[in-house]
Amino acid sequence: MKEKQLFGRQVLADTMSVETNQQSRLIRRPAMIETSQWVICQRCSQKTTKQEVRLPNSHYYCPHCFQLGRVTSNLWLWSLPEPNQFVQCAASPLTWTGELTPAQDACSRQISDIFAAGKTHLLWAVTGAGKTEMLFHGIAEALMKGLRVGIASPRIDVCLELAPRFQAAFSGISQIVLYGEMERPYDYCQLTICTTHQLLRFYHAFDVLVIDEVDAFPFAADPGLNYAAEQAKKESGALLYLTATPSKKLQRQERQKKLSVSYLPARYHGHPLPEIRLKLTSRWRQSLVKKRLPSPVKTILRKITSNQRHFLLFVPHVKDLEGVQSALKYQFPDMEVATVHAGDENRHEKVQQMRNGELDCLVTTTILERGVTFANIDVIVLGADDAVFSTAALVQIAGRAGRKAAYPTGLVNFFADRQTKAIKEARRQIRFVNRKAQKEGLIGGQSRG
Amino acid sequence: MAECLLCHRNSQEQLTLWQLLNFQPVEHSLLCRTCLGSLEAISPEQACAGCGRAWSDQLCTDCVQWREPSNFKNRAMFQYNDLLKQYMSQYKFYGDYRLRKVFQTRIVHEVNRFKADLVVPIPIDAATQQRRGFNQVAGLLEPVKTVEGLMTLESDKQQPQSAKNRQERLKSKQPFKLNLKAEKFNKKRVLIVDDIYTTGRTIRHAATLLLDAGASEVMGLTLAHG
Repeated sequence: MKEKQLFGRQVLADTMSVETNQQSRLIRRPAMIETSQWVICQRCSQKTTKQEVRLPNSHYYCPHCFQLGRVTSNLWLWSLPEPNQFVQCAASPLTWTGELTPAQDACSRQISDIFAAGKTHLLWAVTGAGKTEMLFHGIAEALMKGLRVGIASPRIDVCLELAPRFQAAFSGISQIVLYGEMERPYDYCQLTICTTHQLLRFYHAFDVLVIDEVDAFPFAADPGLNYAAEQAKKESGALLYLTATPSKKLQRQERQKKLSVSYLPARYHGHPLPEIRLKLTSRWRQSLVKKRLPSPVKTILRKITSNQRHFLLFVPHVKDLEGVQSALKYQFPDMEVATVHAGDENRHEKVQQMRNGELDCLVTTTILERGVTFANIDVIVLGADDAVFSTAALVQIAGRAGRKAAYPTGLVNFFADRQTKAIKEARRQIRFVNRKAQKEGLIGGQSRG
Repeated sequence: MAECLLCHRNSQEQLTLWQLLNFQPVEHSLLCRTCLGSLEAISPEQACAGCGRAWSDQLCTDCVQWREPSNFKNRAMFQYNDLLKQYMSQYKFYGDYRLRKVFQTRIVHEVNRFKADLVVPIPIDAATQQRRGFNQVAGLLEPVKTVEGLMTLESDKQQPQSAKNRQERLKSKQPFKLNLKAEKFNKKRVLIVDDIYTTGRTIRHAATLLLDAGASEVMGLTLAHG
């Protein structure tokens, strides 16, 4: 194996040989640690009872991270220490020429300081605040110093949307994008963009690591991935979490002063977040059986179509997609409608069609709740009282409207058979940040094009 | 609350009144109801008399063209559909050995119906055994008393069957030899078990060997057909 392939990585094998004279610097750690009852995976930190994962050859395996190649108790994790073998640039590598608003600029400066100091920090900024742009200056400084930078997100879609923006912003820097189904093999680059699962393959690699959409599934629910993030950065490295909707756990860490936070309650274009309007329906699934949308939904759709606007329609489950689509086709025969869900093979094409304005309506599950931007849309949620819609999901969904400076407004209508805690909390959060932004003078005066 | 081993969703199983009042430990299903619902069982009455695919009780077009030995009948339990493909990929290729238990109860039930004298799992080659750490068919048959009646021939780098097309598969040579003395099979009814029946080439090679060794009847059972 080439030595570069091992810098800051951890590779699973029983033996390992490396070209050139790095052999003596190889770090070898057992892939699993055994106690009398448990085995603990050294890649993802998850522990399992021995009895559950004993193989007939009397070794054990980790049932939590096998998608990245199965860890067994007879293997080793091999790495070479990260040497930061990058070309140092004399001038800033930042090729992005946009401007930050004063509020963005303040956050951006805090982030630069956090990166330089190697701290752990949370950037809590509303949907459409322009989080990515706030990273650019801090990352530019890090790259100039020859540091290794990683940007990770639990969602592939988010990674794929971020990659071209970083490529454009740092056009002279070597960049690689890593995710499960990628075709390009791994390469040692100064800037890595990857899914949080891929962090399991790194060991003390990054001087700066950013986790975008930190509250999204599966990162939030998987302790193995939290461990992976800690282990993928150097011990002295900085770790920055980004989200518009931090989990209770992150908020608690902030209150306990275990985590510092930068807070930005307004969008970059200086318009407030569209607030959620809620209408109650009665047994909407039963109306769908008769190919009819509940009448309040129909009323809103009439309004949307007469204004010739496009919209996203969120439903709780994959099985709801078809009923909604056929009711739409029956009651609005001229409307161009498509449906999309996580397992849909044509998912990326349909999202692109929606972006191009070829569709009037895209009926979707929560996969489009975050990380995607459509220019000029309204948002509808049907069955907003379903348990799949957490407060965070609802706030993210509402945040799909009015993201672009050219079209800063949009309707956000929720329909539910009953009010839930999640709906109440989502509406409260959006009103709260708007009021806060108003108070800080971030809304109205300073929009930019 | 138990997590489905395939889709990782929490299966929200409600206890029935019977389970509550029974005061017996409740056996949790390893898969959720959605995944279990995607299984397509093949009924023995609605299956090809040669290969066991879902068909009428006549021979299917493939079996009319080729089936040797001609007195070998296979029973397949499920269609090899998307869910079963996902299952096999996670079990075999990723090596998640926990999944062996998913079908065990059903397999024991099927095996018992054959009333065979000997149950022989299809073996895997030594390199795969070493890498995977288990034989997937033996794992499925864990609660059943089996004999290792066959072993793979030491041939230089065989291409796996899954990497070939139908014509190439049918041409492949005998990959097994007996692992026991031929007398052991003499006048015995033998059941061979494999994971998937595709062209039938593999399991029928095994059947030929056992019939030549003197078995009175050789039958086949596979988890899936496709």
